[in-house]
Amino acid sequence: MKFKDVEDVQEKLQKAEYITSREIATVVFLASATGKPILVEGPAGVGKTELAKAVARSLGLQLIRLQCYEGLDESKALYEWEYAKQLLYTQMVREKIGDVISGAHTLAEAVDRIASQEDAFFSERFIQPRPLLQAISSEETVVLLIDEVDKSDPEFEAFLLELLSDFQVSIPEIGTKKAKNIPFVVLTSNNYRDMSDALKRRCIHIYIDYPERELEMRIVTLKIPGITDRLATSLVDAVRNIRELDLKKRPCISETLDWARSLLALQVEDLTPDVLVTTLNMICKYKTDSDMVKVNAANLVNQAR
Amino acid sequence: MVKAILRFVACCRTAGYRVSTSEVLDCISQLELVDLLDEAGFRAVLRANFAKSRREQAHFDQLYHLFFHELRQDISLDELDPLSDKMDKVLEKLQEKANGNRSHRAILDFLSGNPLAFLEMMRRIQTEQIDMGQGRKFNLGPLSSRLEVMVQLNDVRDEIDRFLSDNPLHFAAGTRRDLASRFNEQLENAFALLLREPRPHNDGLRQVKTHDQYLRQLGERPFTSLTQKELEQMREIIDKLVRKLKDVVSRRYATNKRGILDVKKTLRRADRYQGVPMEIRFRKRPPRKGKIVTLCDISSSVWAAARFMLNILYSLQECFTKVNSFVFVSGLAEVTDIFETEEINHAIEKVLKEVAIDYQAPTDYGETLRHFKRDYMDLLNKKTTLIIIGDARSNYFHPEDRILGEMREKCRRLIWLNPEPEQIWNTGDSEMFSYKPHCHELRQCRNLNQLIDFVEELIL
Repeated sequence: MKFKDVEDVQEKLQKAEYITSREIATVVFLASATGKPILVEGPAGVGKTELAKAVARSLGLQLIRLQCYEGLDESKALYEWEYAKQLLYTQMVREKIGDVISGAHTLAEAVDRIASQEDAFFSERFIQPRPLLQAISSEETVVLLIDEVDKSDPEFEAFLLELLSDFQVSIPEIGTKKAKNIPFVVLTSNNYRDMSDALKRRCIHIYIDYPERELEMRIVTLKIPGITDRLATSLVDAVRNIRELDLKKRPCISETLDWARSLLALQVEDLTPDVLVTTLNMICKYKTDSDMVKVNAANLVNQAR
Repeated sequence: MVKAILRFVACCRTAGYRVSTSEVLDCISQLELVDLLDEAGFRAVLRANFAKSRREQAHFDQLYHLFFHELRQDISLDELDPLSDKMDKVLEKLQEKANGNRSHRAILDFLSGNPLAFLEMMRRIQTEQIDMGQGRKFNLGPLSSRLEVMVQLNDVRDEIDRFLSDNPLHFAAGTRRDLASRFNEQLENAFALLLREPRPHNDGLRQVKTHDQYLRQLGERPFTSLTQKELEQMREIIDKLVRKLKDVVSRRYATNKRGILDVKKTLRRADRYQGVPMEIRFRKRPPRKGKIVTLCDISSSVWAAARFMLNILYSLQECFTKVNSFVFVSGLAEVTDIFETEEINHAIEKVLKEVAIDYQAPTDYGETLRHFKRDYMDLLNKKTTLIIIGDARSNYFHPEDRILGEMREKCRRLIWLNPEPEQIWNTGDSEMFSYKPHCHELRQCRNLNQLIDFVEELIL
């Protein structure tokens, strides 16, 4: 399953309820056509993660998600041994070892016999695949989302390089595993720290900013079908005005949507400064932020009219 | 097409981007997939491949505009520009007469659609290191080189005017007018390039301006205006703060203690009990060894705040295993040892009085950064958090913000604490505007509330 061209990407993503700008669609198309990973940057809540989900939905692919955090290591990202089974196996070996070496005349022969047995202890039998290995060994193409890669340690970033350039991973006990199908990889970053050049070189880069006014309108009307145009307009304008303020955390698209939903639930028809103040906790998550919005409430909404 | 892309890549590289060959190959193969007549798509491909972080994008857009819109290209897809031939002829004639001056030649090349030499020259000017000779520490080096290029630009303009009015090639009057305006336009472009100082676009910057009101009165008093009694109170609160910091750190250690089962070790141990895994061994992961490097300005302009900052530095060093503390005025001195051996108040007194730096010298951030680069650059790696405390008032010396840029690239996070109120940053000799683009986080830190805020939100 692939995209045909840039228009096709926009169309299919819109069907999956994700509206993109043309630039994003171009990059998604290129990534799917050339099999390169995408590195998505942007402020929190503009739909970086959602992009990967939407691609998976629109192509009907399975999404495998790896959430990065400080201290994430291979045993959580790539594979883990199934200890319980391994321990049981050692018990079995202990019981069966007599059968295997019975009848051996010399010590050397016994050792040979043991050596000729299958080495199951470190084999795929006891391996428990984690997201990365799942994505590599899947029979179908999958969308692999490596979320907030900037939160991971530099070691892990280095570890990703092999995966991203050759789509293979090395497991010391078993060997190198190559991808059966090249997954569609999306990495997201909040710019908590700068990514290394080596990682950037392997990816196509896209920056998603807060959407243009018109795009945000389309998103609101698409996601919240019941909303009137008038409310949507004043809502989007108010949010855009609030973003201009000097806030600790600026409201993002998902918060716009949450706010819109709560206004609908409250059966609000007109956005007034009072309504803004009473429903403020949907968009401001810091006390200092809400204080600032409260002070400016009249301006924020009046401007919108 | 490929040739044009390669030339553009060359421009990007002279402008300081690291574009690798594999990225060029990717880009060219991807261009085959999009509609080349759709400029937005074309631009998106170039941008996605060459400018791989938000910081680079704004500068990239300027380069792109310059290269594909303002300069004449041989690849124009429409019919050939009738003027372009004539421009070439004019430039040829001028080049014959040209003197050996490098910037002069570069400008003529720029006019004929080959901006490489000119861009290179700009880059040289912008990155120029001033020589370390005594008494010449001011910002004059780059300024005078700029002046020279400006003079050359004017020369070229005069030459073209003279050439067109002498008119040895017998152009019609209309053509002459068109040519003159075309040349002028491009000279203006060159001029704009010369005057612009590209700074990385840094909207990932976490700039904290507001703060929670933890303490009503004392919390809002600036460090500079405290009475003796308030100072005492302040100490107590800082003690509390330090304890909190330690709590946060020890919590990290606690959660890190729990390791996962180490099968290899468990089995090896099981041999003692005839293969029965009696003793379960865990793999212990050491907590991430976050390193901290702090630079603290202790010149007279930040004297009052410095005392509190040193307090925090001291406690940071107590909490973390790897902290390197420096103080500076005009040049650095490492005070890690003093902090390690002395008791807190002694240590601070000692730092403020006995360290081997010239306390009377005018503050020079550029010199400090140069010094750091020369001697301590290897302290920084991807696990280091660099905290700089200071007002960035550098007495009009060369700020050397490029060195700070290099430091940013090497460390994990760069946090700048400024003890001045924000309204007066960027005024006078403050270099905050040149340092700002390179910081990950920028805070005003002039009273206790802001300090508490910083410690609360400190992520290392």
